[in-house]
Amino acid sequence: MLLAGGKGSRLHSLTKNLAKPAVPFGGKYRIIDFPLSNCTNSGIYTVGVLTQYQPLVLNSYIGIGSAWDLDRKDGGVTVLPPYAETSEVKWYSGTASAIYQNLNYLYQYDPEYVLILSGDHIYKMNYELMLNYHIEKEADATISVIQVPWEETNRFGIMNTDSDLRITEFEEKPEDAKNNLASMGIYIFKWSVLREYLIRDEQNPDSSHDFGKDIIPLLIKEDKMLFAYPFKGYWKDVGTVQSLWEANMDLLDRDCELNLFDQSWRIYSVNPNQPPQYICPEGEVTESLVNEGCKIEGAVSRTVVFQGVTVKKGAVVKETVIMPDAVIGHNCHIEKAIVSPGVYVPDGTIIRPGDDSNEITLVSEETIGELQSN
Amino acid sequence: MNKRLLGVIDATTVHEDLHELALHRSAAAIPFGGRYRLIDFILSNMVNSGIQSVAIFPEFQYRSLMDHLGSGKNWDLNRKRDGLFFFPTSNPDKPYPGIGTLDHFADNIDFFERSTQDFAVIANSYTVFNMDFQPLLDWHIKSGCDITEVHKNGATLGIYLVKKTLLMDLITTRNETGYSNMRDVVTDIDSQFKLCYYDFEGYAVMVDTIAKYFNVSMDLLKPEVWKELFPKERPILTKVKDEPPTRYETEASVRNTMVANGGLIEGTVENSIIARGVKIGKGTVIRNCIIMQKTQIKENCILESVIVDKDARIEAGTVITAPAESPAVIRKGTVQGMRTGS
Repeated sequence: MLLAGGKGSRLHSLTKNLAKPAVPFGGKYRIIDFPLSNCTNSGIYTVGVLTQYQPLVLNSYIGIGSAWDLDRKDGGVTVLPPYAETSEVKWYSGTASAIYQNLNYLYQYDPEYVLILSGDHIYKMNYELMLNYHIEKEADATISVIQVPWEETNRFGIMNTDSDLRITEFEEKPEDAKNNLASMGIYIFKWSVLREYLIRDEQNPDSSHDFGKDIIPLLIKEDKMLFAYPFKGYWKDVGTVQSLWEANMDLLDRDCELNLFDQSWRIYSVNPNQPPQYICPEGEVTESLVNEGCKIEGAVSRTVVFQGVTVKKGAVVKETVIMPDAVIGHNCHIEKAIVSPGVYVPDGTIIRPGDDSNEITLVSEETIGELQSN
Repeated sequence: MNKRLLGVIDATTVHEDLHELALHRSAAAIPFGGRYRLIDFILSNMVNSGIQSVAIFPEFQYRSLMDHLGSGKNWDLNRKRDGLFFFPTSNPDKPYPGIGTLDHFADNIDFFERSTQDFAVIANSYTVFNMDFQPLLDWHIKSGCDITEVHKNGATLGIYLVKKTLLMDLITTRNETGYSNMRDVVTDIDSQFKLCYYDFEGYAVMVDTIAKYFNVSMDLLKPEVWKELFPKERPILTKVKDEPPTRYETEASVRNTMVANGGLIEGTVENSIIARGVKIGKGTVIRNCIIMQKTQIKENCILESVIVDKDARIEAGTVITAPAESPAVIRKGTVQGMRTGS
């Protein structure tokens, strides 16, 4: 069950018309390609995608799931939007209520285990190994965790465990963390346990119907078998303009743990079928990722360039993410920015962070006029 | 939408002059332009012209063609009604008489009988062009033609438009008339039919020699040709792969080059076509080359005017140069490690 209804408001105008999981990433992907490809690569072929906020782009992107080989006779991908019942329309008020509203979908398959994912993170993970761990520990629920730097523990949900990695306490964004194992928002439940707790949670009027805030604490309180599954590897929440930019820049690092070139764990996406990129006689591209359908006449370095982008003559682009179909005009100078999809950056525009600032500029239709006059 | 046209692609052609590139594949399946195969042009043109039923007649090495086309999904031809049809020859020993072999069609006459379209476009599989067949059909009907042959600068492009009922007559009467292919029909000076020639004004080249293959590939680097062949509204479709974007390293220097996805470039590349998943090592210089899918070129090589077929491996320090008029060809899957030159 892939929770893909998030608004991602800290991504500002990037999520004005689409949900966070549909935000472009890495030169050709959308964020949701990562969990969906992980599912396929892990041998999970029955995936429910729960949508709510601005679902149009996401719905048409997912389609029948063929891009991820999830167009199946049995199972496959099913988009699960909120729906109306005889009495009222039930919006998903929290992560737990979203799954609760779709219990019928789960009853239909009556699985032994349910994997709950979020569509907000960039990572490659074999869920099958996590499931094996869950079975081996005879756990009621297993939560995937990753070690985060101690100074950042106040940004995450922290799991305190005993020596056997059994979870004894869950602290949401603690000021004084006892541990640095952060929840990755990836859960495996025994179906019978999940069902019981979702139904109980729904009946509790004081609950906010959230896995992190309500379900997990209740499971711990009632002494259920909860285990932390330690994940090692690349994992990044791309919830802010800064972190989205950083994650894109990480890909330019040759030693980056997130290897997109690994054929045994491909990240699948909807391919737009565009001609190869054309690097013009005046063009210059170094330390960059460039997708098909681009035309590069300017100088591009340490930049991620999505499909259909044009960089015109005399333009210099550094440490930037240029999203699909954007055009960088003649003699522009752009540094440390994210250029939104389809934006036309007029000739001669200069965008660079101030002298003592490292802030990433988000270039969008709304901000382009303002940026030019500065 | 338009259901009047049926597409027929003759993919049986074998050209002696393309031999080096066609050892394991038919001309239709020769990789082109970094991510395409030659057949993508005619097939996409048909689909972009609203044709929903396409018959492909392959011969000889058709494994790579089958693998490429699959169910026709990438061309939106995996349909319940109409779609993509594949008719391998039932008699591989017969000599090949030319584009639009009536014998070959006769073996599959049922297909023509069953199809509901009124007209058929019969085309070869190895022309690089982007053409809308609708204006051709309108012109053909308006001019009251029986058979129209498409020309470029007065020479045939091996593409014919004919009413389906007439095509079926030509097939069934081939032994009496002596016509063995469509070219015979349109070159008969005593023909009882109204024969027409339609001049196509856009870019179009039949790729039947290595030299043409090389030159047409290099033409892709001209913006006016590129624009004409790959307009957004009439895309050339192909089998998509899930390759990541191409990665350019610090030492990369790439100019006037087309690069497909999945590549890793650390060297210098000029005036070249680089296909999907190609690796080019540090210190290597590549000029006027066509490098096909998944070929690896190690460090400090020099390649000039070379066509390197798929999955080849060029060991470090290798030098291969050839004159631009007669480019060298490195065969599919081979390893080159010795210094050669000319």
